[in-house]
Amino acid sequence: MKRHPVILVGLTVVATLAAAHMIGCGATRSARSISAEKVYVAPGELDKYYAFLSGGQSGSVFVVGIPSGRLIREIPVFEPRAAYGYAMHETDPRRVLLEETGGLWGDTHHPMLSEKNGVFDGRYLWINDLANGRLARIRLDYFEADRIIKIPNLQGAHGIAVVSPDTKYIVVNGEFEQPTDGLVTNPAPYTSVVAFVDPESMQVKFEVRVNGNIDIADTSKDGRYSFSTVYNLEQGRDMGSMIQYDRDAVAAIDIPAAEKAVAAGKGQARNGVPILDPEENPGVLTLIPVPKNPHGVNVTPDGRYAIAAGKLSPTVTIIDAHTLKIVAEPEVGLGPLHTTFDDRGNAYTSLFLDSQVVKWNIDKAVKGTGDYIVDRINVHYNIGHLQAVGGDTTHPAGDYLLALNKLSKDQYVPVGPDLPENQEIIDISGEKMRMLASFPTPPEPHDATFIAASVLKPIVKQVYTPTDDAVQAGTESVVRTGPHAVAVNMTLIRSAYTPDSFEVKEGDVVTLKVTNVETIRDMIHGFALPDHNLNIALPPGYTKAITFDAGKPGVYWFYCTNFCSALHLEMRGRMLVQPRDSTVTLTDWHAGANVKGQVVPGVPSTGDKQ
Amino acid sequence: MKTRTLCLAAAALMAAALALPLWGIAMSAPQYPDETLSLRITRAGIAGDVHEVTTLQHYVGISFPTDLPELRWATWIIVVLTASLVAAAFAGAGAVGRVLRGVCAVTLLAFLLGSAAAVQARLYRVGHQRDPKAPMRALHDFTPPLIGPVRVANFTVWSFPHVGAAFLVAAAALTVAAARRRDDSGGPRSGDRLVRNLGADKAVA
Repeated sequence: MKRHPVILVGLTVVATLAAAHMIGCGATRSARSISAEKVYVAPGELDKYYAFLSGGQSGSVFVVGIPSGRLIREIPVFEPRAAYGYAMHETDPRRVLLEETGGLWGDTHHPMLSEKNGVFDGRYLWINDLANGRLARIRLDYFEADRIIKIPNLQGAHGIAVVSPDTKYIVVNGEFEQPTDGLVTNPAPYTSVVAFVDPESMQVKFEVRVNGNIDIADTSKDGRYSFSTVYNLEQGRDMGSMIQYDRDAVAAIDIPAAEKAVAAGKGQARNGVPILDPEENPGVLTLIPVPKNPHGVNVTPDGRYAIAAGKLSPTVTIIDAHTLKIVAEPEVGLGPLHTTFDDRGNAYTSLFLDSQVVKWNIDKAVKGTGDYIVDRINVHYNIGHLQAVGGDTTHPAGDYLLALNKLSKDQYVPVGPDLPENQEIIDISGEKMRMLASFPTPPEPHDATFIAASVLKPIVKQVYTPTDDAVQAGTESVVRTGPHAVAVNMTLIRSAYTPDSFEVKEGDVVTLKVTNVETIRDMIHGFALPDHNLNIALPPGYTKAITFDAGKPGVYWFYCTNFCSALHLEMRGRMLVQPRDSTVTLTDWHAGANVKGQVVPGVPSTGDKQ
Repeated sequence: MKTRTLCLAAAALMAAALALPLWGIAMSAPQYPDETLSLRITRAGIAGDVHEVTTLQHYVGISFPTDLPELRWATWIIVVLTASLVAAAFAGAGAVGRVLRGVCAVTLLAFLLGSAAAVQARLYRVGHQRDPKAPMRALHDFTPPLIGPVRVANFTVWSFPHVGAAFLVAAAALTVAAARRRDDSGGPRSGDRLVRNLGADKAVA
């Protein structure tokens, strides 16, 4: 059979195109699948790292698994959160503390982990509230804020850092300068302070006065110096006058010298904290000139250099962390903001204006060889902080890098005008960086830090050990403690409250103490009381006491807000608010007599008398 | 091994069994990953994840036996048998000793069989005498086997003899071995000798 040449040629062309198409598709799929595999964590498998992302104006900390990018938990800190029953009620001590220290919201920026021997030990995470000058400590056994303090004598607690290698202090930078005596009428230039906070007592031990706006912080690996970028050395009070000088500074504070001066009584006490004036205490503060209005400062894992990012200058300034001399100022790109590190001598700097991460070799940049730029990768968009796993420690992992981008633009399906933030996970294990995946978050992570899951595994608890004041099963009670006061001691366990009903009178103030007597993990119960603005969440073993007004006469069904069991919907009970002049009792749990319950755990204890 | 040693070893195992868990229950369900619930029935009562199991049981109307009279009489039998074995150990190679060891062996075997029956009866009651007002409707009557798994709602429940029970079985084996000996130096005796010992026992009585 004779084939027509045209058909043959046509078939050949079609076959070639098809083959090329298949190869093309194969190559594309392959690149995608390589990236996908590096971030794929199958259901039931666990992430290798925890990432702690500051929540920004959410006032919280986001806990994300890396490499999967899955949001695992939000730790509420400076803002009440109904879902966790956090600081929701007026008499909640955490709410009282928040109100006393600056209000019911915060602007969290920099999560910092405690260190031991220069690596993260998994005890604490500190987070600042820029807006209200606060610092919170989160215990990583319970993932719960246990201390919140107001830093005296400063406004705008911005950069914070843990003093390496053993967490001697938490450094807190005051960004918004103030009159030195706090008096509005003082005509002298405003100044600010760097505060040094004891990690255990959370007391501010001393502060060092610095002229200008103190921005981002890090410390030398040997604990000798804290480094803070400072802009507006001009001490201007409007933007135009803040950018006049050609150079601003990295402020290096000699911590042992400052301690010595404080011990010698050189500090001027204000609001209970000694403040060191550097002019009266030479040697405490060294200002290292860097291009104007710098932003981030990061110390290399080997402790040799502090690297300040130029922001308005396309350079980073490499400072010898021991001699405090500038050793190089290489160009890296437009809008350098922050730098992080791998385990192979490379630095990664975020470029806000270029929307890039630039990878550069530290030794080559110091030596001045031309080929110090290793790679660049586009990020989406306007990156702020970036953080590589362990980049803050003496032992970076060199595997994953997180880019925290300020704008997401076209990266997610449109959700109205308020767009999510965009985080991108980048593989830095090779010579070339590889974009792996992205995930959105609510507003607005600024910075992140990572800890290996293996470090936290022996530390994290999933059930509370009941405190001494916990209500024990069998000791529940409803007691009238005064003409207008009733105390209710309650327990709850699948799937009942004990007492399941209690009676009070109109005008009573009810003090409710409730203990979740579950002993198994994840058996969280809630106590929501309609029309009383009341919801509390009770993880297993947890006890909470709240005080509230009984309100108008009526039947109020309290119910469990955390889906718990097959009888979750039935897990509810009544608060019966009787008119003041009522003389009848409806249940065994009335506040007219002291009644102790006969309790079988999990079984409703009493029914109506009527 | 000497007969006396066998008897004393058996007595020691039985005494130890008094302090050890006799029976075990293990419960696993999808929502309890890596945290199998376990119960240990000891002479002193029930230990283990009692709190959690008690919390769960009311859904299916299983009443957790808080009092086990079987354990009380089992304790007495074990105490008497232990004392008898010690006595048998020092009763010598003569007829009295042989009879005593034989009685111990037979009583112990009977005790083990009786205990197994008692446990099975208890397990049957757990699966059948359920609260008809229990919230969950998804359960049929069930009988956990003496050893092995049974499905109860979303749980797979394993029932098994615990260390104490193993000690009792080992004690029984040693006692039977002791009873089958003529004297300290002799080899194993034939079964009919055991029967004859029993006959002697009756004769003495």
